[in-house]
Amino acid sequence: MDVATQILISGLTLGAVYAVSTIGLALIFGALNMLNMAQGGLLALGGYIAMWAMQAMGWPAPLAALAAMAAGSLAGGLIFVAAARPMLGGEGFETRIFIATIGIGLMLESVILKLFGPQPQAQSLKLEGGIMLGQVNLPWQNALIFGTALLMLVLVAGMLNRSRLGRAIRATSMNRDAAQLMGVPIRRIYLTILMLSGALAALSGIMISSMSGLLPNMGADPMLKAFIICVVAGLGNVPGAALTAFAIGMLEAVIQYIFGVQYAFAILLCLVIAVLIWRPQGVFGQKEVVRL
Amino acid sequence: MSLLEISGLEVAYGVQRVIRGISLTIKEGEFAALVGPNGHGKTTVLRAISGLARARAGEIRLDGKALTRARPDRIVAAGIIHVPQGDLLFPGMSVLDNLRMGAYLPEAARDEARRLDEVFTLLPKLRDRQTQTASTLSGGERRMVGIGRGLMAGGRILMLDEPSLGLAPIVIDQIYELVQALAKSGRTILVVEENAIRIADMADRMHLLDNGAIAWSGTGQEFLSSPEIFATYLGG
Ligand SMILES: Nc1ncnc2c1ncn2[C@@H]1O[C@H](COP(=O)(O)OP(=O)(O)OP(=O)(O)O)[C@@H](O)[C@H]1O
Ligand SMILES: [Mg+2]
Repeated sequence: MDVATQILISGLTLGAVYAVSTIGLALIFGALNMLNMAQGGLLALGGYIAMWAMQAMGWPAPLAALAAMAAGSLAGGLIFVAAARPMLGGEGFETRIFIATIGIGLMLESVILKLFGPQPQAQSLKLEGGIMLGQVNLPWQNALIFGTALLMLVLVAGMLNRSRLGRAIRATSMNRDAAQLMGVPIRRIYLTILMLSGALAALSGIMISSMSGLLPNMGADPMLKAFIICVVAGLGNVPGAALTAFAIGMLEAVIQYIFGVQYAFAILLCLVIAVLIWRPQGVFGQKEVVRL
Repeated sequence: MSLLEISGLEVAYGVQRVIRGISLTIKEGEFAALVGPNGHGKTTVLRAISGLARARAGEIRLDGKALTRARPDRIVAAGIIHVPQGDLLFPGMSVLDNLRMGAYLPEAARDEARRLDEVFTLLPKLRDRQTQTASTLSGGERRMVGIGRGLMAGGRILMLDEPSLGLAPIVIDQIYELVQALAKSGRTILVVEENAIRIADMADRMHLLDNGAIAWSGTGQEFLSSPEIFATYLGG
């Protein structure tokens, strides 16, 4: 019983962290057919900005989180303006933007390395303490992560399904030409998606670093996992990505408990490969659905 | 009064020049048809007008205002509505949401309820299918949603790319009845049609596209009474 609770707590926390960063990637892929390889850099950016805002500036935690999200959003917007927009509509957009964003991600990491140094640091934006549920300790930080993630998912779902902007995003993902013929300014939509995704990545970066600390390349593993989640869900499928994120988080927690942390990623990858052999288009694969 | 004026329009895909300097005008309230065989550039002309394809040369004016190389959303806002070949519905959205996307721009959105009612009056079948997902509709229903979505946008001129494509003869008749009713109500219409004979007794004016150039323009009656035009350009 206690073991199950323990696994549930860490699985849901992992799932929440993955979901927040993955839905951004899924939105970008759904609308632009673009794999944003700078995601890892954005995760680190978010983590470091939050820490810096609290440590160096003395800002309160909520303000530090907002600052990190603003920085992530700005960086996402810059990725669109400087790299994606000039390449849009050209030959081989998918490959070129893939390479370009790898470069941008590396640049982000180098800048962070230069400014903050290579040594691991602790995330200051973190709740201490916890509450005992029976024999199991529920750390406040895990509860905060889960609650924040849930709030974000609800907000993004509401935006996608209920707002004019959300309808435009879904229309653009389903059919770019048709969206333009309805008067949707798709470049502005793309910019908005990249900014939103950048903010979500920054938030996810705070969550990740609150659990495993800050390092300039801290985003590499989570980014890989986020892409795996996207592929398992079916590329571009936003609600599928959120659900898959929680499933993978739970699975990882179970594997960690049974086999130990060092095997978790490898076993996870084997399972993912098995899933993709069974359903190459992804579990929710049906390219054109973007509904949360 | 000419509403839409196209002069010297050229469009190329890579090095291949697909539209080679065409000029045509469409008057306010006119029912115009652009006809021509498969692959001669009809769709490309419409895509250039609505900004989806880039004009390499030439000018496009609506009401005297230049729209050449403007962004598609600006062109829609100016009043050029394009119902594309093959419908291009939003497959994961309901019929209602597809129609509402037609009224995406603020001016149309303010008038959404009234327009929706108008569309449902013209196409009663859609009223019953509002909640159905677009990807599950039949070909004829899809076409109706495509046209209905265009009507939601309002606009000054409605361009329909092959509204009969892939439909059974009886459904084609229904669609063209609708198009004719729209024309009678005073709308300016430009229809692209592969079957010139079908459109000739409806259209006020026909433009024959041959290999990316306008080979002949005239009234539908003139077209029907000149069999040699048909033989020369449409392969007899
Ligand atoms: N995106 C594109 N890239 C390259 N070539 C294109 C593109 N779109 C169209 N073409 C070419 O341009 C020519 C004209 O095509 P277009 O679709 O305008 O013809 P159409 O008259 O509408 O034909 P149909 O009656 O079959 O719809 C064709 O040779 C086509 O292959
Ligand atoms: Mg065509």
